[in-house]
Amino acid sequence: MSVETFVTDKAGLITFYEAIMASHETYAPVEKFGKFDFKQVKSLAECDPESPIAKTQSIKPLFFPRSAKVMKYVATSTGTEVSEVDEDPLAVKRVILGAKHCDARALQVLDKVYNWDYIDTDYQKRRENTVIISTRCDKADTHCFCTSLDYDVENLNAMDVLVVHGSDGKVYIKARTEKGSTLLNTEVTRHASRVTEEAAAPDLKKQYEAFAGSFRLKMDYSEVNSKLSKIFDTPEFENVSGNCVSCNTCAFVCPTCHCFKISDEKIKDTGLRYKSYDSCNNGYFTLMAGGHNPRPAKYRRWRQRAMHKFVYYKERFGENLCVGCGKCTIACPVNISIFEVVNQVAVGSRQ
Amino acid sequence: METLLVPMICKVDKVIQETPDIRTYRLKFRDEGMMEKFTFLPGQFVEFSLLGSGECTFCIASSGTRKGYFDCSIKKAGVVTADIHTSIEEGDEVGIRGPFGNWFPLEDIKGKNLLFVGGGIGLAPLRSLIQYCIDNRSDYKDFTILYGARTSADLCYKDEIKEWQDNKSLKVVLTIDKPEDTWTTHVGVVPKILEEIVKPVIENTKVITCGPPIMIKYTIQSLLKLGFADKDIITTLEMKMQCGLGKCGRCNIGSTYVCKDGPVFTNEQLKNLPDEF
Repeated sequence: MSVETFVTDKAGLITFYEAIMASHETYAPVEKFGKFDFKQVKSLAECDPESPIAKTQSIKPLFFPRSAKVMKYVATSTGTEVSEVDEDPLAVKRVILGAKHCDARALQVLDKVYNWDYIDTDYQKRRENTVIISTRCDKADTHCFCTSLDYDVENLNAMDVLVVHGSDGKVYIKARTEKGSTLLNTEVTRHASRVTEEAAAPDLKKQYEAFAGSFRLKMDYSEVNSKLSKIFDTPEFENVSGNCVSCNTCAFVCPTCHCFKISDEKIKDTGLRYKSYDSCNNGYFTLMAGGHNPRPAKYRRWRQRAMHKFVYYKERFGENLCVGCGKCTIACPVNISIFEVVNQVAVGSRQ
Repeated sequence: METLLVPMICKVDKVIQETPDIRTYRLKFRDEGMMEKFTFLPGQFVEFSLLGSGECTFCIASSGTRKGYFDCSIKKAGVVTADIHTSIEEGDEVGIRGPFGNWFPLEDIKGKNLLFVGGGIGLAPLRSLIQYCIDNRSDYKDFTILYGARTSADLCYKDEIKEWQDNKSLKVVLTIDKPEDTWTTHVGVVPKILEEIVKPVIENTKVITCGPPIMIKYTIQSLLKLGFADKDIITTLEMKMQCGLGKCGRCNIGSTYVCKDGPVFTNEQLKNLPDEF
């Protein structure tokens, strides 16, 4: 793959974004009540591709919707007719502007579970048809810890196009994939000039170092992985999960949580089946007909959450099921931080 | 994924009242061509929809060697299963996805003595394998079925058990938990009868067991005490499942997906899982 880097200024970046919006179906962070969620947009006036990370939902719902219709059916005394629902609106060719690095990375983690054994073709089609443009953060937020995890934030290739704000108002636009390269060659060349990798490198490095130096939270997650795997029976899980109200919000905002439920709604003869987000924190998650529940206590469900993220998924798919975005902590109504939970259980100290 | 979650329609060919709270539903695909394509092996399961009520996981209780239909035996235990019992009659239509999951290790049990140990509705997955092995009887040596239930009324598949008892190449031992006036054979919980009456040969024997969790637990303890190796004890796990596709996360035990890596496991495999089932 040819690695291409362009340099422009803020005005050039705006023109680039506007050119994309004019010619592609585009999703970007749109503000509502002080929070940002990704919506389809036509102009920059409607959105903010550099929305604050702590107030922005992940891009996961554009690939794995919060609640999606699986099918509709009509069941009468003469028979049952099942039909799949309308065209998938998320499977069209589209561009996402303003995805955060952690959210783009989360899709690489999710690819593993969606592409093993049964292939989730709907997810795959949405992935294939999407070009992701991601601006590297300039500063870590209070609950960010992406640089503590096991992926290379600096050289991340989870987005198709990388945008970095360099020194003196310079903006670097870099293709990270073939899809990104194609997009840049059709859209960016008019608004930016090519630079060599070498010429851009010092400025990119400087920006990354300033960003990497801004983290409040730091931990060695390889140590966490190995320690957690050995302490299934630790009573610490009871201590850290005490305040949890089992509202599942952490899972609903998490860019890597992917548990779902299937539910039916039927009025008279016509019914709909939905696939919706669910969570292992939910007390009914593993409850079986007849009353048996392997995780009847809250601490067991928290253990499952922590272990799935930092032990089981790693064993199975080679990745932590966490990208360090801090969304769960920000959204939690009782201030539980997964960073602190894991730190306290595995390492034994609060930070 | 959404497309993988859409069921195919089956017609209920027959409903058999097995016990006061267990019914067997004999199913045929409405699309006859589908019945040909629907190949499954003993131990696999389906997702069964009563449209409007919900979807539940049931093992296939019959063997693919018996062509043209498959059975699901359903115990009234929760909301959807109660709805199924109340509302599904012969001729009705239900949704089916599958078959899913792994199957009993058919190659490993060839040429071996077979000992089936079942309790209550736990005979359902074993019945699929029992039928399969009866239909390939010459592949196996001694063939013993130990089956127990709380009361004689709770014994499933009574007609078929009579056929098994009449089959001279099978040994069938039945037990109920407490004495009843008309009951003339064994009384006592399954592990006790296993140790005191069945007294199985250990060498060259594979044990396949399924029942309530507590029965499985004590049966495995008895088998180990009798000298069976972990790898020769095979069971099938019951976990809450929904998608059947290794995606929805519900059936995870550690890094194992019961719906994909199971539901059939040897005790050797179970020993390496976190103690969570």
